[in-house]
Amino acid sequence: MTSATAGCGRICLALHGSDAIFSELSSTYPLKLLSPRNERAGLAVVYMITYGGGLVSGDSVSLSVDVGPRANLVLLSQGSTKVFKFRPGQRAASTDALQVTTQRMEFSVASGGALFLLPDPVTCFRAASYNQLQTFHLAADASLVLLDWVTSGRKSRGEEWVFARYYSVNEVLVGGRRVAKDVMLLEDGDTLASKLAPYACYATLLLYGPQVQGVIRALTEEYGRISVFKAGGPAGLLWSLSALGDGGAVVRVAGNETEDVRRWLGEALRGLQVVLGTEIFRRALG
Amino acid sequence: MADETILILLLSDSNLPTGSFVASSGLESFLKHGFGFVPSPSPIPLPVASGTPSNDSGTIGGVNHSHPIPPTTTSISKAEAITTFIRDSLSTYAPSALPFVSDAHYVVSALQSSGGGKEAASRTLELLKELDALYEAMTLNHVARRASKAQGVALLSLYSKGFSRPPGLGLHFSPPAANGNANASEGGIDDATDADTRMATLVDAFKLAVRRGDTDAHGHLPVCWGVLCAALGLSLARTQHLHLYLHARSLLSAAVRLNTIGPYAAQQILLHVGGALVDAQLGKCARLRTGVLIAEVSNSSTDGGAGTNEKQERGWDETTDGPATTWPLGEILAARHDLQHSRIFNS
Repeated sequence: MTSATAGCGRICLALHGSDAIFSELSSTYPLKLLSPRNERAGLAVVYMITYGGGLVSGDSVSLSVDVGPRANLVLLSQGSTKVFKFRPGQRAASTDALQVTTQRMEFSVASGGALFLLPDPVTCFRAASYNQLQTFHLAADASLVLLDWVTSGRKSRGEEWVFARYYSVNEVLVGGRRVAKDVMLLEDGDTLASKLAPYACYATLLLYGPQVQGVIRALTEEYGRISVFKAGGPAGLLWSLSALGDGGAVVRVAGNETEDVRRWLGEALRGLQVVLGTEIFRRALG
Repeated sequence: MADETILILLLSDSNLPTGSFVASSGLESFLKHGFGFVPSPSPIPLPVASGTPSNDSGTIGGVNHSHPIPPTTTSISKAEAITTFIRDSLSTYAPSALPFVSDAHYVVSALQSSGGGKEAASRTLELLKELDALYEAMTLNHVARRASKAQGVALLSLYSKGFSRPPGLGLHFSPPAANGNANASEGGIDDATDADTRMATLVDAFKLAVRRGDTDAHGHLPVCWGVLCAALGLSLARTQHLHLYLHARSLLSAAVRLNTIGPYAAQQILLHVGGALVDAQLGKCARLRTGVLIAEVSNSSTDGGAGTNEKQERGWDETTDGPATTWPLGEILAARHDLQHSRIFNS
């Protein structure tokens, strides 16, 4: 028996009348996809779950998602995605020691559709190595909320930025044209903690399309009101906003604690309650 | 003097009109937000074993007589803060920008040494735009984008206005043969003039595309730096090294103008730490490529060209061999530059 596994998942969501219906919802170990019932018209929710609560070195998960015209899909995780060097309680073969854990996800969102990718943050444990490659193909009038965040590790065990490597790509194409390719690599060994201090959580939020214009407008106004005077030390939470093409924005957030960032995101995205409904919004960002 | 020395002297002159003096690459914002001066729990590891100005409290203030900086812990921690910023800034700038410098240098050098005609020139222009568009998509922070475009376009102008042959003068500079560019050195003035004309045409066409606002042409600094250096015949290794060195130097220049450290301390840091930091990043990032040229190289590999780059790019894996940013905190602080109540730099 090997400790490394390759899981595949596929989600196809289409709108029939006012019901968002899965024409496909399948996955293989260690990935599991669960869709709880919800009352919102035109909207479906899927939880991405990994057995054992995490991924180990050598694991690879690939997910392919199609959101049909005018359908809305919310993708959530159940707790943070934990990346272990080894599966707890299991001694990995020495050949697995240097292997990377990889999650590869391809999303396509058709005209008028929307994808709300709102997982919990990724937490890489000591010495873990993780690749996450996400590609988003959007139709010209599709919408996207992409949240990608990472924590410093198991703070309770004194782990702060002591994983081996974290690599994350988010590539967004609108109508076939690349509008953003955000590539973040964290792997500086001894200097990583000092260069990310004092923060224990970093988030990237990418917003695009007609359904998020209200959120973007509100955030842009709030950002414009900030005026920075000479500070005596770093603030507990910092965020930035840059416009992205026509009708998009990239928001980055850093916070002393993961919960600070979560609270900030919940506030920043409160405009989504109208689209998602309070119940789903609370599950995603509550 | 057909070697690289004169080029390096020219390109590293702080009087070079590139507009880099208005950029602090996030340093001003970093300091304004209160970063850098908080005593860190552990000493900051530097890639130099000894001779760093970080621990010897007498060094920095002591040598500076005309700008006396008292040898207090404040001045030491400021020098340390600047050194740390340079380390972290280089650690993200090198892997994100150097692949673009390298690939732009490669395509322009290839055109120069091939003696290619119109078709090759227009293909080169297409590739430069592709590199430029990718850099634009990867540089999501609007302040860094703005600064990169301003400085990049300035380099293109510098080539056509500042490095072209003055009319009516008999003498002219022959690019060095460092790129395996046999034509320029062996073929005499006629071939060299042809090559000059080819490069001038290419640079002008690229600049025009940027000015016209072509969707893919932005004139980003790393791409334009690669173009400029290749057009002048500077080797890839020198081109890469100089780019990172100038990044470090302009940060120190910004630090002096922000009155954070004195001019002597800046030289001291550049000599004793800056060089090693630049070398460390070169060691890691000189081999990185954008991935844009992979298709190109495999297309042309049948006619036997390409050489070492072909080998490098075969089996290219974006997760280990591609561009990436590595300092999310630096991204946030640099993007917040415009939020400062008062500021002296443009980025």
